[in-house]
Amino acid sequence: MKTRPNPIHRLRRSCTALALATSSALAIGMLPATVSADETCVSPYSPKITGQEQFVHVWTLGVKGIGDEQDKLVTIDTDPESDTFGEVIHSLSVGGRNEAHHSGYSDDRRYLWAGTLDTNKIFIFDVHTDPSKPKLHKVIDDFVKVTGGVVGPHSFFALPGRIMISALSNNKDHGGRTAMVEYTNEGEYVETYWMPTDDNLRGAEKTGKYADGYGYDVRFLPAKNIMVTSSFTGWSNYMMDFGKMLNDPEAMKRFGNTAMVWDLHKRKPLKIFDIPGAPLEIRCAWGSNYCFTTTALTSKIWLIYEDKNEGWTAREVGTIGDPSKVPLPVAFSITADDSYLWINTFMDGTTRRFDVSDPFNAKLVSEHKIGSQVNMVSQSWDGERLYFTSSLLGNWDKKGEADEQFLKMYNWDGEDLNLVFEVDFYKEKLGRAHLMTFNSNELFETNIAGKKEELGDGVAVAESTD
Amino acid sequence: MYPSIARFPKALVFVFGCALGAMPAAGAEEAAKVPAKTKEPVKGAIDRPQVLAPGYTALSFDPPDAGTYSLPPIAPAPDGRVLKTDGSEASLHDAFGDKYVVLSFIYSTCDDVNGCPLATYVLYRLYQTMQKNPELAENMRLLSLSFDPQNDTPEVMRLYAENFAGKGADWLFLTTESNDVLAPILADYGQGVNRVYNEEGESTGQISHVLRVFLIDPERRIRNIYSVSFLHPDLVLADVRTLMQEAAAGGYQAAAAKSKPPLRTRELMAQASHTPLGLPPLEAPEGQEITAARVDLGRKLFFDRRLSGNETLSCAMCHIPEQGFTNNTMSRAVGMEGQSLRRNTASLYNLAWQDPLYVDGRERHLHTLTWSELLDLKRMGNRSVGVVLDKLRGLPDYEDLFEDAFDGQSADMVTTGVAMATYLRTLVSGTSPFDRWRFGGEEGAMSPAAARGYELFTGRAGCASCHEVSEDHALFTDNQLHNTGIGWHHSMGKEPRRQVMELGGGIRIEMDMDALAGTEERSYNDLGLYEATQDPVDRWKFRTPGLRNVAETAPYMHDGSLPTLEAVVEFYDQGGFEHPEQDERIRPLGLSDADKADLVAFLKALTGDNLRLLEADAEAAPVGVPAGEGS
Repeated sequence: MKTRPNPIHRLRRSCTALALATSSALAIGMLPATVSADETCVSPYSPKITGQEQFVHVWTLGVKGIGDEQDKLVTIDTDPESDTFGEVIHSLSVGGRNEAHHSGYSDDRRYLWAGTLDTNKIFIFDVHTDPSKPKLHKVIDDFVKVTGGVVGPHSFFALPGRIMISALSNNKDHGGRTAMVEYTNEGEYVETYWMPTDDNLRGAEKTGKYADGYGYDVRFLPAKNIMVTSSFTGWSNYMMDFGKMLNDPEAMKRFGNTAMVWDLHKRKPLKIFDIPGAPLEIRCAWGSNYCFTTTALTSKIWLIYEDKNEGWTAREVGTIGDPSKVPLPVAFSITADDSYLWINTFMDGTTRRFDVSDPFNAKLVSEHKIGSQVNMVSQSWDGERLYFTSSLLGNWDKKGEADEQFLKMYNWDGEDLNLVFEVDFYKEKLGRAHLMTFNSNELFETNIAGKKEELGDGVAVAESTD
Repeated sequence: MYPSIARFPKALVFVFGCALGAMPAAGAEEAAKVPAKTKEPVKGAIDRPQVLAPGYTALSFDPPDAGTYSLPPIAPAPDGRVLKTDGSEASLHDAFGDKYVVLSFIYSTCDDVNGCPLATYVLYRLYQTMQKNPELAENMRLLSLSFDPQNDTPEVMRLYAENFAGKGADWLFLTTESNDVLAPILADYGQGVNRVYNEEGESTGQISHVLRVFLIDPERRIRNIYSVSFLHPDLVLADVRTLMQEAAAGGYQAAAAKSKPPLRTRELMAQASHTPLGLPPLEAPEGQEITAARVDLGRKLFFDRRLSGNETLSCAMCHIPEQGFTNNTMSRAVGMEGQSLRRNTASLYNLAWQDPLYVDGRERHLHTLTWSELLDLKRMGNRSVGVVLDKLRGLPDYEDLFEDAFDGQSADMVTTGVAMATYLRTLVSGTSPFDRWRFGGEEGAMSPAAARGYELFTGRAGCASCHEVSEDHALFTDNQLHNTGIGWHHSMGKEPRRQVMELGGGIRIEMDMDALAGTEERSYNDLGLYEATQDPVDRWKFRTPGLRNVAETAPYMHDGSLPTLEAVVEFYDQGGFEHPEQDERIRPLGLSDADKADLVAFLKALTGDNLRLLEADAEAAPVGVPAGEGS
């Protein structure tokens, strides 16, 4: 593939307008709404940016010896018409190295919830008052206490007026048994739903050998009233040095081997499937009711779908790499037309494009080297722009010179990924770049002319930039 | 061939102008693709047929049976000042009455069919159902509140309401005096709205908003929030009926917080003063008498995560009571911010008789060991004594605890250390099958295999030369440090190029270790006692561990490198890792398979009879975790 930076003018100027699609109601003029778009992995209950994203927020881990050494939300200008295109325009430090990890928007995208896996703090950022300058709105620092011992808040996925949080661990032994937790948009605790285990299946059907009670990601299929979850490992492993863990047979026994479907409305687990080797991220099709997951240790692609005869089930549908080489599939992204997956493998710093137009037969199409290591991938709704970041976990990232920390933005021309810009997170003294979310002023301002009106706290209509 | 997947488009949104209440024709509609500014097609937008939101059609799944689930209260439903259609003012709460309320924010000129019209359509369907069902009609109320007071005057809302006129059910249409009155209501309900202006800066009358409809119970608590994707009359009715059943059954019962079992302080003290069979008497150092107040305080410290630098770790997060006060899930421990520690977490049973402390023997007293742990930046991660003491003196739940335990003395280095040491000393464990057999005269208490194992242990296998057994008690340690070869092998042995690894689900694979290059910070090294004395003869010497409850404390050896008791016996049978500095008592033993099995049977007979007591006491311990802002 080509890795040379392309001049910015390669970007099509004509596509800078923003369009919003949503499965939630928006007045006309705001826009349309085709399907719920894959603007990477936004909740089906949220508006989507279907045009040009203006900003990318990067939830960044502080690193000892780098800059101010603490976790921060970094905002990068991604508007090709802006003078600061491709540059860091804002950085908001939150204090401590908390193992910053994933983040997710509230259903109206006005707030970004950013979680931490070590200290269990959740930082809620106001990203609507001025998307170019997020503000820290609230810190939840009693997560373990109010949830009854849940540790490691991981995925934040919007429900109407609420956030569903999947977690990774527990307060009792820092192992993998964990729960789903629901909060209000205002940051108030609602309920804890412990994952079913052999000791207590909580009404779920165990279809295979395992009911490990582990957790990782969460997605919704509203049309089927289904919630899908996957499984990873507890604090003891995700905080452990990666090489140390791989050499520790006891630790390697403690990975999740399950995915589950839940009754979304009732919040009750329905079926537990065996998916060996830590099924991590879940990405659901936008036009159909099935989801993919990839296994970190066994390097497989699995499909979770509703079979006419078996009902909800899971099936292996592809191979990502040779597990003896530890490719370690991590984040992946599904294209908006459900035809392709971009799957990152951390250890070889490569992204792989799989054709999943037949979801039961994932076919490798091409491979593209991104860096010495790569974790997250986010793609624009039109699939023409892809963003990659480098950090997996503070103690799993590579050591020494291989520990590159970056955000790289590429254009996809159908055959090649063409590097447009790169931000070196170490040179910029920021830290480890992890989860990316897109943002745009136009999500929050529909006033075409420069009129301003205040509707009260929290519902301000921002001034137009036009 | 593969099983087919039922294709089902997700909730989609039409965009076309429709008078409120007018229902679009069913069927697909080409997606509108007009970006906000340019009115040009959205590049890359996927052409898919659109359908109406589920609320207009039959549910694509079976609605839940009422009462088979619960809806935890989400938040108190906020209040505000509203205007009725006759222009009179009321509070929103008054409008709720004592009913189950379905509250929808709308505006009369909204023409997104899957926006306000959807909400109104669903409410209309509910209205029709209520009219036919006296119980629902009596208990439910529908509220449509405008978020466009400038256009939606009470008169406009009255005319609007006439579209849905009927009898026998409650449906109120409300508005507000002004945007200023409305704003706090919208903010409180989290209903962000953006008004849409034209290029001249004039309001187009259009408002963009994320659709939310609220279900509120008679106690004015929000119990569900619906959006386009699942606002459906069948779901709302199932929820209302669920809430009505809940009320009939006495109201919402939060999952009963597991009531904590009682602390077992008295039993801990009793077993410390009259030690279990097989243990010598326990003598606390002078000035460190075991009292209930000190045990309770020490236990509280042991389980308190707030005592670590980032308030994440406690002693109990590595020394896990249910896992033999060690951690069965890893060979070497993980500390502050995941830093790698070099050794297996030590079990804490019978620490009272352990001297020196730590596997390299570098510490002598439990109360000073406490501070070694608290101040170790890789372990509890506190920067100074002052940081810890300030925290202890400032935490309200520690008020008077030190003073009560130490004759008025507050938290300081000594009282903190002694409290912790006192609790640790009570973790005694004996009266195992072996003790009953050896010291209690119960011949049948231990199996014949274990008895044969004991003969080997004290005889031909030579284990007891370090793991000592006395006439009237057994601690199974000489409290000395020896070189067994484990440490030497790690420091001096060659690393394997390939290694079998478990990948989950029982899948094992031979790994190419080159693939892991660069993943570990730095290969660790551990020279044991030498690190404390700097004397070369002390290289790779580690303290003999006691063996009580050894079946509970896998993995084994100072580095957790042996996963099972069988592996440990095998290691000694092979004579360790032969090298000049290895203790001369480590030699090939020539044990048969039966001998090895007998030795393992013996080791498994060393499990004390009080482990469940110690776990129950730990279960009852208050776990100190950050309690949030302002607490």
